[in-house]
Amino acid sequence: MLERAKSGFTRAVPNWVQVRIPRLGDDTRFAYKLLLPAFLMMGIIHFLPIVWGFYISFVQLDASYVSNWWNAPIVGFENYAKIFNPNTIVGAEFWTSLRQTLVFTVGSVIGIYTLGLGTALLLNRDFRGKLAARTLVLVPWIAPAVVTVLTWQMMFRTDTGMINHILRSVGLIDGSFFWLIGPRSIFAITAVWTWQNFPWAAIMLYAGLQSIPEHLYEAAETDGAGRWGKFRYITMPQLKPVSVVIVLLMVVWTLINFTVPYVLLGASPSDSGKVLMLFIYNYAFSNWSFGLGAAMSTVLFIVAMILAYIYYTRVIGGEFEGGAI
Amino acid sequence: MLSALRREDEGGRIPETWRLSTDGRELLFDAFTRFALGLVLLFALFPIWMMVMNSFKSRSQVMTENPTLIPSEFHVSNYFEMWQRFPLLDYFLNSLIIASVTTVVTILIASLAAYAFSRYDFPGKGKLELSILGTQMIPGVLILLPMYLLFINIQMQVGIPMKDTYHGLIFLYSTFTIPFAIWMLRGYFDTIPKALGEAARIDGCTRLGALFRVVMPLAAPGIAATSMFVFLLAFNEVLFASVLGSDTVTPFAIGIQEFQTQTQTYWGQMMAASTVATIPLLFLFVLFQKPIVSGLTSGSVKH
Repeated sequence: MLERAKSGFTRAVPNWVQVRIPRLGDDTRFAYKLLLPAFLMMGIIHFLPIVWGFYISFVQLDASYVSNWWNAPIVGFENYAKIFNPNTIVGAEFWTSLRQTLVFTVGSVIGIYTLGLGTALLLNRDFRGKLAARTLVLVPWIAPAVVTVLTWQMMFRTDTGMINHILRSVGLIDGSFFWLIGPRSIFAITAVWTWQNFPWAAIMLYAGLQSIPEHLYEAAETDGAGRWGKFRYITMPQLKPVSVVIVLLMVVWTLINFTVPYVLLGASPSDSGKVLMLFIYNYAFSNWSFGLGAAMSTVLFIVAMILAYIYYTRVIGGEFEGGAI
Repeated sequence: MLSALRREDEGGRIPETWRLSTDGRELLFDAFTRFALGLVLLFALFPIWMMVMNSFKSRSQVMTENPTLIPSEFHVSNYFEMWQRFPLLDYFLNSLIIASVTTVVTILIASLAAYAFSRYDFPGKGKLELSILGTQMIPGVLILLPMYLLFINIQMQVGIPMKDTYHGLIFLYSTFTIPFAIWMLRGYFDTIPKALGEAARIDGCTRLGALFRVVMPLAAPGIAATSMFVFLLAFNEVLFASVLGSDTVTPFAIGIQEFQTQTQTYWGQMMAASTVATIPLLFLFVLFQKPIVSGLTSGSVKH
């Protein structure tokens, strides 16, 4: 990138111009120096592994090639053919896993957004203790994920868990539900992931609400809009930019989340809770099929990148001026 | 009363006598706000409550079909026994070392980059910023596979151990947290007037001097907030630690899962360890919540 920038600069100056122009200003060079360490590290840990992972997805790399990976036989698209073919064992599981990942993602994002919006609207009113409420709401997001997920695991226990106990007490269920094994495990990870992340959405939306100019509401009031009218025609349209950011980032983060499913359900859960990150992890490190694992990771990465691209073009409109990580 | 409210909101005309006074409506809405917010807070804090309360329960109090919200009798034994069953103290120290060094490395390197983004214009700026955002979209497993090979091969070809070492994990974690930290720090640096740095330059400061002596001290609350997030990210990491961080460097996030053995789970002790890990972090959060909240939302809302 640096090279391209330099050549771009020299080309802008025609050959016959004899005036010496510094190719890069002092400030520009200084800025590049400041960026160098960060991008060097990111180059090694982010950009190189993507290329390397892409390569691995085209070879048959198993346990015997770990120490001499460059000797692993190149098999072309065979890994991809296997994972996309529902008639192979890994393919059938991959499709199930992909479907469960989508259910997990859609469910979580809907939950996180609606709960976050509700909380933000409540926080946006003036009342005593508002600061305390705002602080406390963020606790699920701040507390260390591993320990809160383990706490949820304790509450989701079948016979002795708090959740089944509560549901029994209010008469919603009879006996005990299995939450962490079987078809309900997808619900468990969705609930925990939602719990952990709705505070983030709430704070982002709250900041969005705070930045809506008061005069818009006043104008709406003179036009005779009620509470619902103001919400529908002022609040929601004004919140649209921040909402798109939240939804897209949350979709991507849910797709690539590992901690919640892994800690809550373990490395090899029932089909229902076997989201892609767990499935890939399992396949690569329990079965030692790095090639297949890399192929599946690449697919996941491409899906995330497409979403990120939509985010980039739609939200930022090509001009990068904000957006949260 | 409620239906009257609704009808008025729809713009229908309501006889004056049906109307609740403005004060009354506000009061009603206020009560509703408090009630609903109470429910949200209950949902948000319930697991934390259960965590703390179960840390004071004996084994039979945890393993009952009628679990209680408050232990009928408080036992503190979990807080003593948890250190003995597993090398929990080692896990804590490992995490503390890894997360602290990661935080220092990250803040140093990310401050430089954030300063460049905040103060200078240079060719390719937008693309570089975009690539920082792009790193947040990379699934961990995609990096983990080549990293596993890289670590093993460095060990075999060069002879430097990487897997199961502090420096291996610190190097990995710093790189994961740098993009995030650049983003947050840039937001804080943006709020500090450029004129201050320029004044320092005129007084004879070098460019770097202006950053370290003028801008960074002013951004101290923001740096503290960012540090906390970086620390938290490193402390919570499970995926890479489970593959590349066992043996002598096992961090807390992996070690605490050992309370779950094949035959039984030591819930009381696990919750005691969880409480010990959570309370200091929550305390730090309350201390730095202003810059944390502003850092979270900076750049996300267009003004």
